[in-house]
Amino acid sequence: MAVLRTLLYLFVYPGLLFLFAYSTFCEWFDRKVFARLQNRMGPTHTGSFGLLQPIADFIKLLAKEDVVPAAADKGLFRVLPAFGLAVVSAAGLLLPVWNFDLAVPSFTSFQGDLIVLLYLLSLPTLIIFLAAWSSTNYFSSIGGARVLTMLFGYEVPLFLAVLSPAILAGSWRLAEIAAFYQAKPLLILPNLLAFAIAVVAVQAKLERCPFDIPHAETEIVGGTFTEFSGKKLALFRLMFDIEMVVSSGLLAAVFLGGFPGGALVGFAHLVVKTLFVIFLLSLIRALTSRIRIDQVVTLAWKYLAPLAVLQLLIIILLKGLLS
Amino acid sequence: MTDAEIIDRLKADLGGKIVELTHPAPRRLFLKAAPGDLLAVTGTLRDKYGVVFLSTITGVDKGETFEIIYHFSTPEQDFNLRTELPRARPHVESISSLIPGAVLYERELQDMFGIVVDHIPDARRLVLSDDWPEGQYPLRKDWKHERPVEVIPGGES
Amino acid sequence: MKFQIPIGPQHPALKEPISLRMTVEGEVIVDADIRLGYNHRGVEKVAEEKNWTQNLYLSERICGICSHSHSTCYVQGVEKLMDIAPPPRGMYIRYLVSELERVHSHLLWLGVAGHEAGFDSFFMYTWRDREVVMDLLEMITGNRVHYAINAVGGVRRDLDDLQKAKVLEGVKILRERSVYYFRIGASEPSFVARIAGVGVLPLEKAVALCAVGPTARASGWARDVRKEDPYAVYGELEFDVPTADTCDVLGRVVVRVKELLESYKLIEQMIHKLPEGPIAAKVPRKAKPGEVVSRYEAPRGENLHYIKSNGTDKPERLKVRAPTLANYPATVEMLRSGFIADIPLIFAAIDPCICCAERAVVLTSARSGEESIVRLGDLRRQALERHQKAPLKRNAVWPF
Repeated sequence: MAVLRTLLYLFVYPGLLFLFAYSTFCEWFDRKVFARLQNRMGPTHTGSFGLLQPIADFIKLLAKEDVVPAAADKGLFRVLPAFGLAVVSAAGLLLPVWNFDLAVPSFTSFQGDLIVLLYLLSLPTLIIFLAAWSSTNYFSSIGGARVLTMLFGYEVPLFLAVLSPAILAGSWRLAEIAAFYQAKPLLILPNLLAFAIAVVAVQAKLERCPFDIPHAETEIVGGTFTEFSGKKLALFRLMFDIEMVVSSGLLAAVFLGGFPGGALVGFAHLVVKTLFVIFLLSLIRALTSRIRIDQVVTLAWKYLAPLAVLQLLIIILLKGLLS
Repeated sequence: MTDAEIIDRLKADLGGKIVELTHPAPRRLFLKAAPGDLLAVTGTLRDKYGVVFLSTITGVDKGETFEIIYHFSTPEQDFNLRTELPRARPHVESISSLIPGAVLYERELQDMFGIVVDHIPDARRLVLSDDWPEGQYPLRKDWKHERPVEVIPGGES
Repeated sequence: MKFQIPIGPQHPALKEPISLRMTVEGEVIVDADIRLGYNHRGVEKVAEEKNWTQNLYLSERICGICSHSHSTCYVQGVEKLMDIAPPPRGMYIRYLVSELERVHSHLLWLGVAGHEAGFDSFFMYTWRDREVVMDLLEMITGNRVHYAINAVGGVRRDLDDLQKAKVLEGVKILRERSVYYFRIGASEPSFVARIAGVGVLPLEKAVALCAVGPTARASGWARDVRKEDPYAVYGELEFDVPTADTCDVLGRVVVRVKELLESYKLIEQMIHKLPEGPIAAKVPRKAKPGEVVSRYEAPRGENLHYIKSNGTDKPERLKVRAPTLANYPATVEMLRSGFIADIPLIFAAIDPCICCAERAVVLTSARSGEESIVRLGDLRRQALERHQKAPLKRNAVWPF
């Protein structure tokens, strides 16, 4: 029974199959919201309301010719897309979406899984950098350098922002943090600043406008993905979709009180809360123009990081008051 | 300043250097100078009449000679300065030392008419492709276009 | 580490082929070079073998966006050579179309600037509203791109009262929207952060490098052919020449939006002052020998045609100088010491029209290499057939 349960967990829910289906739905949602904000229709043709469009795009890309540049580091170039997908899917398993029994920690819920999740979410950035660097294209190299520069900008504010609810809850375990805020919903409010910072940082992590600098098409063609085509590009796109779901799930678990109430109700919580976060992300994407790489670093270190520290200070004081 | 006054002033300033001065329409002056006097006339126009803007340089193939026309303008007046070069030895001095923006048009002139612009800061081709054969100048009247046989990889011909 | 990155001839930021060769050091541009010729079609050579009327259509095809500019500039010159004066009503309609074209071109540019900066929402909105002016142009001329309203000696189509009312109505909507875009373009923080202080072209450089149009005006050089050499109807109309002194891309945005507002003023005046009478004059087939310099303020700056006639029905020489060409030296200057991220914005800021700057179409079959000429009727038939065979599109419905 336990084996079956584990297999289900790995492959069906919230494992690969669910993540694939849900992330393509989220991509559709994001595209539709983005399009409506721009006075467009967005996907309409495939499936009802264009729901199947992201899947159609994925399948079409799979069927496209796959070119590996002669000068590229072929091994690395081939293996990185699959590796990236594996990393974000593994990160997806750590989301506390199954009804966890807090008393009996299972293999995906343990003290410190927050750190592991954050670490797994940082890996795709490095993978993209390696992918860009191994394709040896000038545009890719510039894109790769931009990926790393941005990483140093947004990673610290993100970690600091996620730290503050964890400190207030006094735990490093996602399920416990969620349970803490389910018990005391009012304590979500002091963390709002951290939530805002985290949303901006996640936007940067996902390389969406205004942070789509590494693959800004009008500047450096496809940037990091200039040389990627066919299956590899499809896997990278899926990786970004899943990363979007996982990081919005992380924000939902840490800031919005997790997904309580068993498999069904928990699922409803997951959908509503992640879609809310994705809606915010789409809103930012529609309302801003791409900024320059130096402006990203300035934004992160001049505003986001100090604000995150301020938030930590507030939370530590609050914790002292409460105890 | 009216057109007539400007003409009088031009005649006084540049008397000997201007071979011909016509005034076919209001605000349009056509001056003609010898190729050697080009730089001096442009210099005078720039310093005394505030001519800093060059619209373009036109080349015309007149058979035995090439005529080139510099279209200058100021907010009040258009000056069109022309000169004629012998076809056998089409050399003209670059005016880019006086008007830096002229380089582009001088490069175009070199490409299209095979007029050699001396002391041009940048003599590379501008509009013709790098593999364009030497000595072919498309805008000369005796140049006729012959479409080269196109070889299409994988095609039938 | 210095290396050269090729922007073009094929690049997503460029809508037409041109090669910008950027020497960069990290993210900073240290040197820039421009190579033209990817779009050279030999229009000036072709013009020498066509008669005056045929060249009217040829000149229209120099460019797709400012098609009316080139044909008007050409037709102005030819009319002077033939020594005919078109009737005032014809003139008003001609320049009404040219102002509408300016509006469409500037709105298009605003959208492109938004897109190049990654601000796609701005792009979508401006292009939606650009449809208003496109519809007006289609209503007046019958075409959306190559208006073909000019004829030697006047225009081809008249305006009726209903059309006049529609133009006024359209201008009202557009004015409202333009004021709104002005607010966004000059105050949206992330957009302004990208364009303020970028692509600086000081006044003395603009003068030295002979910049034209909005590029020169944004550097504080108030040059406008409509004002300083008031051709045709512009002497009878009131308008200002907007300038900016910031000398950067922000200044160019501001200048273009203000020019939009001036154009609306001009359009309204033209509609109100539209005289009665014929729209075209009868013209001779041949022109007298002579030469003429015709200048015209296109949306991108001064357009100059030099036409020389030898007394036959064909020109001896037609020289075209498009505004974009004049702005290239200034662009190289602006690009130096910018960031890679600024390349598309700076280059787009001169509103480049590459096919203008390089001036016949024979179709070559890629498979057999055979050349074929498709008749207009064939094209029309093919289009109709395709349309009838195309599957019905499902109705697009938004669920929320």
